[in-house]
Amino acid sequence: MSAERWKEDEGLLERLRKGAPGAVDELLRQYQGKIFNLAMSILKNESDAEEAAQDVFMTVIRKVDTFKGNSAFYSWMYRICVNTCLMRLRGKRRNDTVAIEEFMPVFTEDGMHASPMDDWSKEVERKALNEELGMMIRKFTEELSEKYRVVFVLSDIEGLSNEETAKVLGMTVPAVKSRLHRARLYLREQLSRYLKEGKVE
Amino acid sequence: MNCKELAYLLADYFDGSMDPRMRAELDGHMAMCEPCMNFAKTYRMTCRKASELRKCIEYKIPDEVRERLASFLVAATEKFPEQMEEYHLQVERERREKVLAFCRAAIEAKLSSMAALLVESHCANCRECKEYFDSVLKTRGLNGPHPEEIQEHVTRLMESLPPDEEFFLA
Ligand SMILES: [Zn+2]
Ligand SMILES: [Zn+2]
Repeated sequence: MSAERWKEDEGLLERLRKGAPGAVDELLRQYQGKIFNLAMSILKNESDAEEAAQDVFMTVIRKVDTFKGNSAFYSWMYRICVNTCLMRLRGKRRNDTVAIEEFMPVFTEDGMHASPMDDWSKEVERKALNEELGMMIRKFTEELSEKYRVVFVLSDIEGLSNEETAKVLGMTVPAVKSRLHRARLYLREQLSRYLKEGKVE
Repeated sequence: MNCKELAYLLADYFDGSMDPRMRAELDGHMAMCEPCMNFAKTYRMTCRKASELRKCIEYKIPDEVRERLASFLVAATEKFPEQMEEYHLQVERERREKVLAFCRAAIEAKLSSMAALLVESHCANCRECKEYFDSVLKTRGLNGPHPEEIQEHVTRLMESLPPDEEFFLA
C-alpha cells in the first residue's frame, strides 16, 4: 500500500466522520468495485453480492467513528465485507461444496504416496493460463467450502499477503497458511485429475 | 520424514520460511523419492497458476447495481446490528485448548516422532520456547497459562502437522 493511497484514505475517513457532502460518493467510487468483487467471489451470486455490498457500506459508514487508524482502511473494510458475506452464508445450507478431504493426497499406512504421481508441471507451464484452464481453476475453487475459499480468495485472487489476510479474517498467520496450503493441495489434486482425463479422451 | 509429512510442509518450503535443517530433510527425501519430487513440482505449478487467475477474474459491477447502491446509502440512516466477534472468540478458545493438550503431551513424552522433531528443530532456533519447554520439563507441570508468544509458536508447529493426525502417541 503506497503512502499516497494511505493519505487519500485518511482524507476520505476524515470527511466521512464529519459527514461531509460527497464523502459517501467518494467512498463508493473508490471501493464499490473491490467490495462487489470480493462479495461475488464469496457469494457467487449477483443479487446476494449487491445486498452484501449495501450492508458493508452501511456498516462502514456507521462504524467509521470506531475505526482505529492502526490498521489499513481497506483491510478493515475487507474484514467487514468477509464477515457480512459469511453471515449471509451461515443461514443457507450449501449443497454444492465438495469435501476437501476427498482431494487430499492419499498415503499408505507408513506415510508413502499411495498412487503414482505424474509430473504435469512442464506441460502446464508452457501454456499461458488459457480460458479453459482458468475456468476450471475457478470452478474448482468455487466448490470449496467457505472456510477455505475465503482464505484462497483473499490471498490468491485479491493478492493479499498472509499477514493481511490474517488481519482481515482475524486469524493467526499460521492458520491462514495452513488453510491456504490445503486449498492448494485440493486444487493440485483437482488439476491432476482434470489433466489426466483430458489426456485419455 | 515420510511422504505424508513432507506434503504438509511444502508451503513453508516454497515460501522460504523454513528452517534450514528442516529444509535439508525435505531436499534429502525428494532426491530419493520421485513421487514426492513430482508432487512438489505440481504443487508449485498449482500455486503459480492460481495466482495468475487473479488477472482474469473481474466481476464487473452492473450500472443498475451502482445506482441502487448510491441511492440506498444516501437514503439509509437506520441502525445496523453488530456483526462480528463471536466467531473469533470461539476459534480462540479452541486454539488455547489445543495448545494446552500439545504441551501436556510434550511433558509426558507422548509426542509423535514428527511432532517431537518439529519441537526440537524449533527450539534450536527459538530461545523463548527452549527455555519454556526446559523449565516445564523440569517442574513437570504447567504453571498457569502459556505466554502468548509460546502459544503462537506452538500453534504454528501444530499447524504444520498433517490434518486429523493426532500429535501424540496413543
Ligand atoms: Zn516421498
Ligand atoms: Zn518459539
